[in-house]
Formats: sequence, structure tokens, C-alpha cells
Amino acid sequence: MIRPEEIKMSAEHVGKWGMVIDQDICTGCQACVAACAMENNISFVGEKDSGYGRSMHWIRIERFWEGEYPEVKMTPNQPMLCQQCNSATCEPVCPAFATVHSQAEQLNLQIYNRCVGTRYCGNNCPYQVRSFNWRDYERPEPLSNQLNPDVTVRRMGVMEKCTFCIQRIHKAQDKAKAEGREVVDGEFTTACAQACPASAITFGRVDDPESLVSQLAQRGHGLKHLEELGTLPNVTYFKGG
Amino acid sequence: MIKRFFDWLKQPLGLIAVGIAVLTLFSIAAYGLYTTQQPPEQPIQFPHKTHVAFGIQCLYCHPGAARGPAAGIPTQAKCWGCHNQIVKTQTSLLLAPLKEAVESGTPIEWVPVAQVPDFVQFNHRAHIAAGQNCENCHGDMTKVNIAENPQVFNMGWCLDCHVKNAGEDHVKLVKLTDCGTCHY
Ligand code: HEC
Ligand code: HEC
Ligand code: HEC
Ligand code: HEC
Ligand code: HEC
Repeated sequence: MIRPEEIKMSAEHVGKWGMVIDQDICTGCQACVAACAMENNISFVGEKDSGYGRSMHWIRIERFWEGEYPEVKMTPNQPMLCQQCNSATCEPVCPAFATVHSQAEQLNLQIYNRCVGTRYCGNNCPYQVRSFNWRDYERPEPLSNQLNPDVTVRRMGVMEKCTFCIQRIHKAQDKAKAEGREVVDGEFTTACAQACPASAITFGRVDDPESLVSQLAQRGHGLKHLEELGTLPNVTYFKGG
Repeated sequence: MIKRFFDWLKQPLGLIAVGIAVLTLFSIAAYGLYTTQQPPEQPIQFPHKTHVAFGIQCLYCHPGAARGPAAGIPTQAKCWGCHNQIVKTQTSLLLAPLKEAVESGTPIEWVPVAQVPDFVQFNHRAHIAAGQNCENCHGDMTKVNIAENPQVFNMGWCLDCHVKNAGEDHVKLVKLTDCGTCHY
């Protein structure tokens, strides 16, 4: 846990994995949303529970109305996912230590088997990107056949959220290690970035100044959402550039 | 009423009754534990002992262990490579299911015994590459007939070895004890 007075100091501390999202070229096609659900075994909650606001997504496309009627304008599409904050508000509130910071990968983890479902983390997340398993949702045949074996299938009563596809990170690291080399930038990417037809999402190492994400992030007009809260997010957005 | 019952329990006959009840409960519990320690019923009574004694490498039948997360169980094609040349295959009752599986082309449905829960991500490759022997985790397979699981794959067991292996290397220790290394 990081206290406010320490935030300034730790602002120099960059994470390990990060993302750059270009809202100007995002068409809002939802391909990332679908790809994410496929990759990470996210349940389909159905119409009824969605109506209660219990839909489950690790990434969603946000749009807001701007201005007064009749001069309303739509803001650009805004893919919103866990920002993998370096100083995450979700972490210190968990009474069970189920949402911990990975020291090795600098990610916010959700340890499903440790989670007791208080939902405190979800309520404390300023980006509202955590979703809760209100039920054990059914996966009727053929859907059950596409479960990803590298990702835990969550049960009822457990909180979950974007992991930056940690299973892909591990796979790439394992492959690189077997071949006796380091992971190369662009060798692998997250499911959402891979599915994006407009290449609006870029994923990679933010602590490596040579990587594509770092280069993009340094272009200047990037913006981090709710940065003023001191969460130190690892996702940079470009808008109106 | 209840007082009368307790008084009766204090009689010799009552004490014997209590003794019998306790013994029965104990044996049921012991039997329950015993059944969990038994290897499950397999479609073929495959003897590891005999095969390993012939000098067949573990990796010949479980090649995935050196390449990726899962070691894998051989298909009947691999068994048949040897067994179609072995006279005993035609006569042995133990091998009848294998013959049938090869002829009909239906896969043999082995019952898994060495397993971690779904929420744990294990990877054989990293361990074999780091020089860990199969015996360290699966016990001495030259002694077992039908595969059983000698240890409980619990978290303390994983972490003990990881801490021991990391030694003074801080980066490695952080990586090998990070929740995100095994749970996602
Ligand atoms: C001739 C092929 C063959 C060889 C050689 C062999 N195995 Fe196996 N192994 C099998 C088959 C078939 C099974 C599945 C049947 C069973 O579980 O008894 C199995 C099952 C296992 C299992 C249990 C897996 C599970 O969850 O069902 C372990 C552990 C195992 N082997 C380890 C080893 C080790 C260690 C060696 C080397 C000392 C070895 N095996 C050598 C064929 C072989
Ligand atoms: C490298 C060659 C080889 C492979 C591969 C192999 N076996 Fe064998 N197996 C043998 C030999 C040799 C014997 C001993 C035959 C004897 O006792 O005469 C044997 C014995 C057996 C027996 C005991 C038969 C009996 O009646 O005692 C069984 C059961 C068996 N094998 C099953 C399998 C299965 C199932 C597989 C595939 C997972 C397999 N074997 C793969 C060589 C092999
Ligand atoms: C560090 C400990 C460790 C070592 C070393 C190890 N295993 Fe395993 N093995 C495990 C664990 C844990 C599982 C359960 C994995 C799971 O459920 O995903 C397992 C599962 C298995 C299985 C059955 C399931 C599967 O993965 O297909 C086989 C077969 C197996 N091991 C064979 C081997 C062989 C052969 C070797 C040596 C080359 C070996 N193991 C070395 C820990 C180990
Ligand atoms: C007998 C010792 C031993 C046991 C038991 C053991 N490990 Fe390991 N584990 C190692 C070693 C050694 C490494 C390799 C470290 C390295 O990369 O140099 C390793 C590496 C790993 C890695 C890969 C880390 C990376 O660098 O990406 C994972 C994942 C892992 N172990 C999971 C497990 C799990 C889960 C269990 C328990 C079911 C377990 N291990 C039990 C010794 C062990
Ligand atoms: C080396 C791999 C490894 C690491 C690192 C690890 N775990 Fe585990 N964990 C396991 C294994 C294996 C089990 C399964 C134990 C069993 O089957 O009894 C487990 C089980 C658990 C359970 C029990 C779940 C249940 O329902 O029984 C909890 C809670 C848990 N882990 C939390 C954590 C937390 C929190 C961390 C980080 C501090 C962590 N684990 C790090 C391997 C690991």
C-alpha cells in the first residue's frame, strides 16, 4: 500500500507491462470485448442479469454524451479495462489479501481461490473494471468446448478482472527461456490487442524505452485516466491527436 | 429422560456400547481415508514397474514433460509399437483392452491421478529444464504398479522447494513465490 505522500516519489517508478490505446482510430467494433471473453473464459451472464447491471466484461467500450441538447456530441470510443495501477486502490481494501500486487510482473493480481467475495475491491476501483460472479453461469455445449485451459474457470462469489493476459505473458517467457533468449517486443500481445482490426491497442514493456508502447507513450499528448487520484495507471490513452 | 440415559451410559453395558460406537466411527473414517489413498480403477492395469525396469525412459512415454506444461499420457499407437511384436500381447488378459482399443481405434480413457486443482497453473518444462528429476515429485516409479500419487501437491510443498531453489537469488525468489506465477 502506498500513502499519498509517497505517490510523488513512486511516480518515477514505472510498471513493467503497459498499454497504449488510440481512441481516434478505435471504431468501437467490440472485437476486443469478444476476444477477451474467449481468451479468458468470461461467463455470458444473459439478458436478465445484465439488466441488473451484473454483466461481466474485462474490457468494455465506453461512450459518453457531451454538451446540452440539442448540441450533444458523442465522445470518441473509449476502451476501458483494468489500468494495472502501480498504486492500486483495489489492493489495500481486500480483507483476504486476494488482490495483491505481483512483484515479479508488476500487475494487479486477483487470486480467485483466495477471494471470498466481499466486492470491496470492485467498489473501490475508480475505473469500475472489476466484475463479480453473481452466479455459476451455464456454458451449454459447444460453448464449453472453447474454454481456455490456461485460465482458471471462476466460480460463483468470486471477483475477477483483466490480467493483461498473464497466461500469454507466462507462455512467451517460458518459450523464450526454452530458447535461451529474452522475450522480444511484439513477440506476443494480449487478446484484445491481437483482435483489434484498427490496431488501436498496443501492448508491451513500459520499462523498456525501446519498445513500441514506450515509444508511443512518449509521443506527448497521451493521457492517463483519473491520474489525479494517484493510481499511477499503466494504460495511456490518445484522444484528438 | 436425558439424565436416565447418561446414568445408563455409566453402567458397564453402557460403556461397552460407547466403545463399540467409537470403534465403528473410527473404522469408517479409517476406511474412508484408505479409499482415498488407493489408485483409481484404470482401463488397463498398466504396470510402470515392468516398463521402467526395461529401461524405457519416462520421456519416451511422457514427452510433453520436457516441452511444455503437461507431460501427457501415451496413446495406444505408442504402446502398439512394442506390443504388436510381443507374443504375450495375444494371450495376456491384461492386454486385451489394449488390443481392443487398437482394433476399434477408440482412445483409452486413463483416470488422472497426479493433478493439481484447476486454479493452479503448473509447468513441467521449467522444472525439467532446471534439472528436477521426475522422482523428486512423482516418487520412485520403478516400484509402483499402477500409477498413484505419493504426495499431496499442496502449496507448501511447491513453495518449500521454490524457496530452497532460489537460494540467495532475490529476483528468482520473487518470481518463484509470486502468486501470479501459479494462480491465474
Ligand atoms: C511405456 C510407457 C510409459 C513409461 C516408460 C512411463 N510411463 Fe508413466 N504412464 C504411462 C501410462 C500409460 C500412464 C497412465 C496409466 C496410469 O495412470 O497408471 C502413466 C501414468 C503416469 C503418471 C500418473 C499420471 C496421471 O495423472 O494419471 C505419472 C506421474 C507417471 N506416469 C510418471 C512416470 C515416470 C516418472 C516415469 C519414468 C520413471 C514413467 N511414468 C514412465 C506410461 C508410461
Ligand atoms: C518399449 C516397448 C513397450 C512399450 C512402448 C509398451 N510396452 Fe507394455 N510391455 C512391454 C514388455 C516387453 C512387456 C513384458 C511382456 C512379458 O512379460 O513378456 C510389457 C508388459 C505389459 C503389460 C503386462 C502384461 C502382462 O500380462 O503381464 C501391460 C498391461 C502393458 N505392457 C501395457 C502397456 C501399455 C498400455 C502401453 C502403452 C502406454 C505399453 N505397455 C507400452 C513393452 C512395452
Ligand atoms: C516439480 C515437480 C515435478 C516434476 C519434477 C515432474 N512432475 Fe509430473 N507432475 C507434477 C505435478 C504438480 C503434476 C500435476 C499437473 C497438473 O495437474 O496440471 C504432474 C503431472 C504429471 C502427469 C500427468 C498429467 C500430465 O501432465 O499429463 C504425468 C504423466 C507426469 N507428471 C509425468 C512426469 C514425468 C515423466 C516427469 C519427469 C520427466 C515429471 N512428471 C516431472 C509435478 C512434477
Ligand atoms: C522439487 C522442487 C520443486 C517443486 C516441488 C516445485 N517446483 Fe516449481 N520450480 C522449481 C524450479 C527449480 C524451477 C525453475 C526455476 C528457474 O527457472 O530457474 C521452478 C519453476 C516453476 C515455474 C516457472 C516459473 C517461471 O520462471 O516462469 C512454475 C510456474 C512452477 N515452478 C510452479 C510450481 C508448482 C505449481 C508446484 C507445485 C505443484 C511446483 N512448482 C513445485 C522447483 C520445484
Ligand atoms: C509455486 C506455486 C504457488 C504459488 C507461488 C502460490 N500458490 Fe497458492 N496454491 C498452489 C497450489 C499447488 C495449491 C493447491 C493446494 C491443494 O491442492 O491443496 C494452492 C492453493 C492455494 C489456496 C487454497 C485454495 C483452496 O481452495 O484450497 C490459496 C488461498 C492460495 N493458494 C493462495 C495463494 C496466494 C495468496 C499466493 C501468493 C502469496 C499463492 N497462493 C502463491 C501453488 C502456489
